[in-house]
Amino acid sequence: MKGRAAPAIFLGMPTVFLVGLFVLPLVSMVVLSVWRTENYHIIRDFSLHNYEVLATEGAYMTFLVRSLAMASAVSLICTLLAWPVAYGITLYGGRYKLLLTLAFAVPFLTGEVLRIIALQGLLGPAGLLNGLLLSLGAAPLRVIMYTNVASAIGLVYLYLPIVVTVIYLSLLNFDQRLIDAATIFGASPARAFFEITWPLNLFGTLIGFALCFIPCLSATLAPRFLGGPNGTLYGMAMAQQFGESGTWALGAAMGVVLFAVSLLLVIVVARLVDLRRTGFTGFGRG
Amino acid sequence: MAYIHLDGVSKQYGSVWAVDRADMAIGKQEFVSLLGPSGSGKTTLLRIIAGLERPTQGRVLIDGEDVTELPPHRRGVAMVFQEFLLFPHRTVYENLAFPLRMLKLPKGEIEARVEWAVGILALRGLEKRYPNQLSGGQQQRVALGRGLVGRPKVLLLDEPLANLDRELRQEMEVEIRKHQTDLGIPFIYVTHNQEEALSMSDRIAVVRGGRIEDFASRTAIYDHPRTAFIAQFVGRSNRFTGTALISQGKTALCDHGVRIESAARPDIADGKRIAAYVKNEKIQLKPAAEMPADAANTLTATIRYVLLRGAYAEYVLGWTGGEIIVSRPRSEAAFAQGAEVACFWNEADIDLFPMTEDGR
Repeated sequence: MKGRAAPAIFLGMPTVFLVGLFVLPLVSMVVLSVWRTENYHIIRDFSLHNYEVLATEGAYMTFLVRSLAMASAVSLICTLLAWPVAYGITLYGGRYKLLLTLAFAVPFLTGEVLRIIALQGLLGPAGLLNGLLLSLGAAPLRVIMYTNVASAIGLVYLYLPIVVTVIYLSLLNFDQRLIDAATIFGASPARAFFEITWPLNLFGTLIGFALCFIPCLSATLAPRFLGGPNGTLYGMAMAQQFGESGTWALGAAMGVVLFAVSLLLVIVVARLVDLRRTGFTGFGRG
Repeated sequence: MAYIHLDGVSKQYGSVWAVDRADMAIGKQEFVSLLGPSGSGKTTLLRIIAGLERPTQGRVLIDGEDVTELPPHRRGVAMVFQEFLLFPHRTVYENLAFPLRMLKLPKGEIEARVEWAVGILALRGLEKRYPNQLSGGQQQRVALGRGLVGRPKVLLLDEPLANLDRELRQEMEVEIRKHQTDLGIPFIYVTHNQEEALSMSDRIAVVRGGRIEDFASRTAIYDHPRTAFIAQFVGRSNRFTGTALISQGKTALCDHGVRIESAARPDIADGKRIAAYVKNEKIQLKPAAEMPADAANTLTATIRYVLLRGAYAEYVLGWTGGEIIVSRPRSEAAFAQGAEVACFWNEADIDLFPMTEDGR
């Protein structure tokens, strides 16, 4: 009896969790998206009107494309920055490895808003960076604050710790002695990296990329505080539907579209990557 | 002319010398074992030859070329690791082809050589499998094949059989020796297992505390240990201790009334503490009644247990000085538990060593 209860409990808990906090809200969002809202009231008429609006009004498409471009750029930058950092920690961190990794998570101890505001202070028109430039007699940088560049800096700053942690964990699980084996059998250090290290950590890298990419798509705070007039991103526009505009049904439709796009991307990536070729067996080690 | 030379190779970690002035000359067709307990520095020495570690001092020469400063991938060596270290994201075929691809061989040549390795190592039909779909023995075969396909100047083996069970290990010992003989390339084999070292090697270097205690043919290492450590570590021996007595051209010692008498050892001074080692299988047994009890190199003992080891019977005997172990072929008359027996051995089978300060 005990033997049967254990798997039921261990698999049951996440199931309840997922159904309660993920599937049900998702279903309600889909339902809400085919209703409409008028004067802050939900009207239960089935129509695809919200989707029509999203498809025909150019602004939403612009936001989505801009968000995809932003998320791609930010995730790429995060991955490129995170790799050498994580690799350096695994190679040279010694007994401070864990501490160094935790240090990367220190920004999480403060709220997201606070961190964004801090960046504003750093990059703003009268911020630390421009103050420094002015005191040196140089012209202040106008391109940085209230542009998409500022949003990107903010997003990189927000999500870099996550990507570093995920890639670090992947590298921690990677047997460095395989590199010894590769070099013994004639691979130069660079060759060994591309033959062994990169493919065996590709899975971890993709997870890190995705954990940056997907929240970037729906980011609201960074574009709002740093982005400026041309910086509206999809997630920010979506949040507005639930806030100021009160057009919840349209917001729900935007959420459904966002979910579909994210899902599509995950499927495409899963299709492109052969997990076997990343050493991933799905059964743990050995 | 030796093919591989180690010239005063030393490696320092902090204040510890993991390898201390190792000198070796290894021939082109030789199978050499580095035998020593764990932590003796034998693996470090192997990694220095591979180029995975840089020696603090000394030089490594392979085929007349000083490779001390060369990185591993330019040395033309290959290695078989204890943990196999097959590439988990590559099939058996791709693992075997890896060294050949790095050598930039033409495709046809790669296919032919992988085919050859698959053939000699009985891996046919497994080419498309991934390492985690193979048994331990199969993984070890692939690791060995990956070491051989590139026709390295030397194959380094780091405890390659330690993770296999006994039966498989003995099978692989035959196989490894066979491939070495067929290919005519030197193998340097690191192990802490004396049976492996004795079964395959031409010569054995016994490593202890970073130093090579002796480097000699396996028969010399076994039959004529040069140091007490080797006598204790290689083969299984019984140890007697006492004070050296020199008389009538003999060097002798007395341990609990048993006189152990060997040919004269002019290097051992009278009155010095010495230890005598007699290998288990060099001690012979007779019923106690048939032997004069007071003769030299003889002791009377009682059989406590008999362990059956296939072709051999291992007797654990109690005597006044403690316990000794004797192994005898089953073809000889057997003794039962509790029997009183006389143990005796030849003068020539005694290895005498002066004892060190710490009583060893």
